[in-house]
Amino acid sequence: MLQQLIADTANGLQQICQHELPLLQQPADWQTKYRLLMQLGKKLPALPEKMRQPEYLVRGCESRAWLLHYQDPVSGKHFFVLDSEARIVKGLLAIMLCFVNGKTSAELTDVELSRHFDALNLRPYLSQSRGNGLNLMLQRIQTVTSA
Amino acid sequence: MAAFNPLEFRQHFPFFQSQPDWIYLDNAATTHKPQQVIAAELAFYQQANSNVHRGAHQLSQQATALYEDARETVKSFLNARYREEIIFTSGTTAAFNQLAFGLMHSLLKPGDRILISTLEHHANIVPWQLHCLTQGVILDVVPLDSQLMPDLEAYQALLALKPKVVSLTQVSNALGHILPLQQMLSAAKAAGAITIVDGAQGIAWQVPDLQQYPADFYCFSGHKLYGPTGIGVLYGKTALLEQLKPLLGGGEMISEVSFQQSSFAALPARLEAGTPNIAGAIGLATAIRFLRQFDAKLINQYKGKLLQQFADGLAAIPGLRSLTQVTQSAGILSLQLLNEHPNDLAVLLNEQKIAVRAGSHCAMPLFASLQLPGAVRFAFAPYNLPTEVEKTLEALQAATDILR
Repeated sequence: MLQQLIADTANGLQQICQHELPLLQQPADWQTKYRLLMQLGKKLPALPEKMRQPEYLVRGCESRAWLLHYQDPVSGKHFFVLDSEARIVKGLLAIMLCFVNGKTSAELTDVELSRHFDALNLRPYLSQSRGNGLNLMLQRIQTVTSA
Repeated sequence: MAAFNPLEFRQHFPFFQSQPDWIYLDNAATTHKPQQVIAAELAFYQQANSNVHRGAHQLSQQATALYEDARETVKSFLNARYREEIIFTSGTTAAFNQLAFGLMHSLLKPGDRILISTLEHHANIVPWQLHCLTQGVILDVVPLDSQLMPDLEAYQALLALKPKVVSLTQVSNALGHILPLQQMLSAAKAAGAITIVDGAQGIAWQVPDLQQYPADFYCFSGHKLYGPTGIGVLYGKTALLEQLKPLLGGGEMISEVSFQQSSFAALPARLEAGTPNIAGAIGLATAIRFLRQFDAKLINQYKGKLLQQFADGLAAIPGLRSLTQVTQSAGILSLQLLNEHPNDLAVLLNEQKIAVRAGSHCAMPLFASLQLPGAVRFAFAPYNLPTEVEKTLEALQAATDILR
């Protein structure tokens, strides 16, 4: 089950990188931007209800979000599965995962998320700390990958 | 008094000149402040700043007079019998923490019961819980009926268990529903309970006449009544306040201190340890004087009109469901978009510069009982305008178009 979710997530993230991220960089009205954010969230699988366990919950967000983590013992690469009750938040979190999924611990230390969000004109979302839980998710990613 | 003029009322609030693009409907979280309140705090610091009740100098006596005048203003606003019954706190939350600590360590004994409702804010839940376990006190909760009001039959049954304390909110912060407190509190008094009212939301709707009101304690925050943040009031009947164990010890609340023991000062100082929020108290008194220029009935009628206009407009937007019974509401409407999380709706409203609250509004047990992740709350104040209601409805239409 987890392996399938990881594979589906990695697949979805790859599609987002190729198709949606370039679209986000183009100028558009706010309605278009949000539609795109919600569409890209849909490319990631939903976490089945029975897997929405407290230990995966990222606490402190206004909407609930879950993060599952798996490190491949051979390659050392980190893989994630995420879900959120809120669609816009899920889209933003998916973008965040695009830059961290499938990377090794060493590669992760070089990821400058704020630079990527700047390039996508999404920086304001990263600083709205409490509302969308992006920073909390980021901390969670750092915690699980440095363990 | 003349008819209520919202445009004239609004002009007293400089915030709207600074932020002309925003529509502010988060008034249940905090209200804006009229120029008079801002000026009064500024004037205190610029012209009269000194500590109260202490200095040997005239300046301190003047500051003390201003602070005690503020207490007098609150006393007359609530029609309390004695000035000693008005305790300044930092807000409703602080008042509840004092009440819970004070009652748990004086009048309550193991096995005693406290009764609250499902509609309570966390401030009327958690302070009790902090002591329930250690003190062996039981917290009972009145369930909701189908109208999302307290189930009065269940209430009567819980009163039969003889709770020592019944603590209820005047108005639900999450839904806006006005509780039938006259009836509920009278029944609680008849059952021999100490009655407490959380007036945080209610104070801006209906100011109680405390000599007629069946409440032993009443708490509210200044900042939801056009006053400053960091100031609030704990009202209590003298005989009960005198029995409350002080939560805060320190300066000003004692009569004699030795290293062996201390004796406490008389009310209100007994429950006001440390330097109080002098400027805040003056600001709150100014807000009260400001508000008293207007006819409260006309203000409520106007808020009711805005709410009805909003509710009528909502009916034309598919998928939206109001949790609030508009006729039972103190100017608040909470809604849900079918199958959507409230956060998504709030983000899209924020993008259109509509300020609302989304989530569980510090009332998690309420939303757990409704099996909902939360709601989006629209809270109207008398400075809101019909044109703002129209724009909010358009913004909601745009937001739901994106989410569908």
